[in-house]
Amino acid sequence: MTKIEAIIQNSKLEAVKSALQEVGVEGMTVLEVRGHGRQKGHTEVYRGREYSVDLIPKTKLEMVLPDALVDKAVSAILAAARTGKIGDGKIFLSRVEEAIRIRNDERGEGAL
Amino acid sequence: MAASSFIGELRGSLQEESAHIQKEFEATGDGRAAVARRTQLVESILARLWREIVSPDDAQPLNFAIVATGGFGRGWLFPYSDIDLLFLFGDRDTEQAFKDPVRRFSQELWDLRLRLSPASRTLAECDRYDANNTEFTISLLDCRYLAGDRDLFSRLRDKVIPKVVMRDSKALLHGLAEVTRVRHTKYGMTLYHLEPNLKEVPGGLRDCNVANWLALISAMDKLHDWPDASPLRAPVRKQLQAALEFLMSARCFLHFRYGRDDNTLSWESQDEAAARRIGVQIGDRRDSAEGDALSAADWMRIYFGHARAVQRTVTQLLEEIPEARSALYRQLQSWRSRLTTPDFSVVDGLIFLQQPSGLQNPEVMLRLFHFMAIHGLKLSATTEHRIEQALPALAATPPQGAELWLYLQETLLQPYAADALRAMHSLRLLTLLLPELKLTDSLVVRDFYHRFTVDEHTFLAIESLHRLKQSQSEWDKRYGELLTELEDPELLYLALLLHDTGKGIPGGNHVEASLEVASRAMDRLDVDPKERAEVLFLIANHLELSAALRRDIFDHLTVSAFAEKMGTPERLKMLTLLTYADIKAVNPEALTPWKAENVWQLYIAAENHLNRSADHRVQASANDDKLARLRSLAPVTSSKFKEFLEGFPQRYLLVHTAEEVMRHMQMADALSIDPVQVELKRGRHWYELTLVTKDRPFLFATLTGALAAWGMNIVKANAFSNQAGTVVDTMHFTDRFRTLELNLSEWARFKNSVVGVLLGEADLDKMLRDRQRSEKGAIAKVKVETKIEFDDASSPATTIVQVIAQDRPRLLHRIASCLSDQACNIEIALIDTEGQMAIDTFYLTSAGKKLTAEHCREVKTALSGELRGE
Repeated sequence: MTKIEAIIQNSKLEAVKSALQEVGVEGMTVLEVRGHGRQKGHTEVYRGREYSVDLIPKTKLEMVLPDALVDKAVSAILAAARTGKIGDGKIFLSRVEEAIRIRNDERGEGAL
Repeated sequence: MAASSFIGELRGSLQEESAHIQKEFEATGDGRAAVARRTQLVESILARLWREIVSPDDAQPLNFAIVATGGFGRGWLFPYSDIDLLFLFGDRDTEQAFKDPVRRFSQELWDLRLRLSPASRTLAECDRYDANNTEFTISLLDCRYLAGDRDLFSRLRDKVIPKVVMRDSKALLHGLAEVTRVRHTKYGMTLYHLEPNLKEVPGGLRDCNVANWLALISAMDKLHDWPDASPLRAPVRKQLQAALEFLMSARCFLHFRYGRDDNTLSWESQDEAAARRIGVQIGDRRDSAEGDALSAADWMRIYFGHARAVQRTVTQLLEEIPEARSALYRQLQSWRSRLTTPDFSVVDGLIFLQQPSGLQNPEVMLRLFHFMAIHGLKLSATTEHRIEQALPALAATPPQGAELWLYLQETLLQPYAADALRAMHSLRLLTLLLPELKLTDSLVVRDFYHRFTVDEHTFLAIESLHRLKQSQSEWDKRYGELLTELEDPELLYLALLLHDTGKGIPGGNHVEASLEVASRAMDRLDVDPKERAEVLFLIANHLELSAALRRDIFDHLTVSAFAEKMGTPERLKMLTLLTYADIKAVNPEALTPWKAENVWQLYIAAENHLNRSADHRVQASANDDKLARLRSLAPVTSSKFKEFLEGFPQRYLLVHTAEEVMRHMQMADALSIDPVQVELKRGRHWYELTLVTKDRPFLFATLTGALAAWGMNIVKANAFSNQAGTVVDTMHFTDRFRTLELNLSEWARFKNSVVGVLLGEADLDKMLRDRQRSEKGAIAKVKVETKIEFDDASSPATTIVQVIAQDRPRLLHRIASCLSDQACNIEIALIDTEGQMAIDTFYLTSAGKKLTAEHCREVKTALSGELRGE
């Protein structure tokens, strides 16, 4: 099992969600986050006051998937979230030891 | 009999009889009969257990009795509700002696799957009121004898309870008010939930009981005994009775439906309840005959109607207990009592009428709610009653037109507008004045995010804007500042009131429908066309900002497309606030700081875009709707039309109505006779001076100087010029010394003086010196740091400079003069004042070109020097 964490542009959430559903991803967690990578944010001046936006609002998706589905999901996210511009986001993959369904104690990929 | 077979038999008869009750309820829908039968059933089981476990004689043993309390005591056992039972003992020894039978008694009930809520007390313990357990003493108010020592029970009912109530009535009322308040707060203080819990929400079953208890405690306090009849006044009792019948049937229905004590009116259960007409009596719904299909929304309206009656009764009864309020509250209320006017008096925070017949005058009715909106007071029961009595006469000739709009806007602008609107709504006055709002009355629209009915959502949105002013949260404060900057906040509030009315029209797009409904409402209010256009714009676009948030808000194309849709900074501001309030009123968690930040980012980016793109020029021959309309209205020939409009900034057409543009054309046409055309008008907030003339050096500096010399404070201004060098400047100013307001004759003198200065016939420097001598320097309340920013990138043909500075007399004149001294030509000026801060944007050229970097530095140095030190 692999955990996918994808940080994407807010505007891409709907597109990424439907792309993931199409390849068979059923569940995910969506978080409203702030942060920056190499794209350092920028500064807006409003009425002489500077509003520096060093932490940019982004959307983060988290999902744990059976290994067979991971490549398809990653491709789906890449295709749906890419604009080619700075700030498109990142995808992180990590191994997951175990998954447990609280309701019935089911374990492993069956619990996903 | 063997214990197991005895319990087996009891279980059998319990199941059989329960099934019977359910079947009967399904046939009749009569909740009251169902709860009565279930009470009897449980009583008979308790009696058999008593004989089996405690004593074969129902009236034995001495010093021990079982007492039904709470809902069971009232005889209202819902199919799955708890059974409130008191094991009452004469003394500790008896309690000790019966410990095992009591345990067994309880155990057997649990085994029968009857949910017991037992309490065990001696008579002496019942005599104590514990402020941490108000519920127990309250539950005794519904006590009823079941089995055991009758005399012991009589001592409880006839001596102990009246004694506790008399001794502790204040604390008891206070305690009851407090638990009620806590419960209401948990439900957001509103009854308008999309999926209400009909027992616990404000206006629910629990509140029916609270009403009875409050009246009972007060009556016992007076009589020193139990009252003979219901302590509630007859009209109140009748109203509660109807609500009770409905709620009882609905709760029985829910219990049977879920098979447990779940009182949530979920959407699915609303559909089913409507289909089965649960609790609906003939006459509940005027527009349908019995037997007609009832939609879930209509069924919920009946529910909300009852809940509203219950909530009003409880609120009034709570208000009538001064003892239940804190000392601080009392103090505040008596301070408020000083608010008494010739129409209304205020006693203990409640509004009474000075003249009972006053409400025959519709104006007094409208003033009443305006008064309420200002002070946040509640109506007394008598006042509400009188309003209800006055409504039929009012319905015959309801106030409408501009007069109604005037009262409505004054009410909308007050800090407690939402409370006043809610009161008007609950008394059916609001829908009488604006029948369009009937569409969303108690309307449940099912979506995943909304928590409240459409009407309550609307009131909450209005309330959340008013609350911005007092809020401590960073985002609220920031948006609160925007609110204070609006020219016509009443239009924003009206847009909020009407923005979702279309949800009451089934099918299709609610925005389109809302626009139609809002148009009808504004016809009724006779709203002026310019204001009407603003309100319709806000309603038409009320989802636009949220839609833009779903795109990349850091992309300049998203920002420019959105900003251009808004057109003017004023509309952008109003829509930003409308969106903020609208999201906030969806549910308490809907507006996350993350979302507030996104809205703000988009707002400032769009605002900056609007201020830096004001020089996109009009091409008079272009074929767009606005130009076509202007062409059709134009009072001048088509060549003059083209000459006049050609080259004006697009912003010129956005900030002026077609009628204003036409007027400017006429003034421009008259320039051949009089080279300076000036018009002066008095607006709602400011005076407005329009100048049309040919451009020349120092023109803007001279004009602002002339106004400053008269002591006028320029709040907002626009200065535009066309390709032919015709200038249209609009100055909005306040009359600091009330010269124009107090002396009508000064209007002509003022206008002539401005013309004289512009023609070079009057000595502006002398006028300014005279004014300066007569003025004392005022001390600024807020310190605003001067900022001068150049932007050479946004406009292809001009250099933009934005000056932020402390607002003070003659400021604009000094800036404009300084710019002219520096050989700058002011192509466009956008002047704004927010509180103590002047925000002035100038589009400059020098010898027809952009300013060089060197020139910008010189101008900055000169401006800094001019604005430094006072």
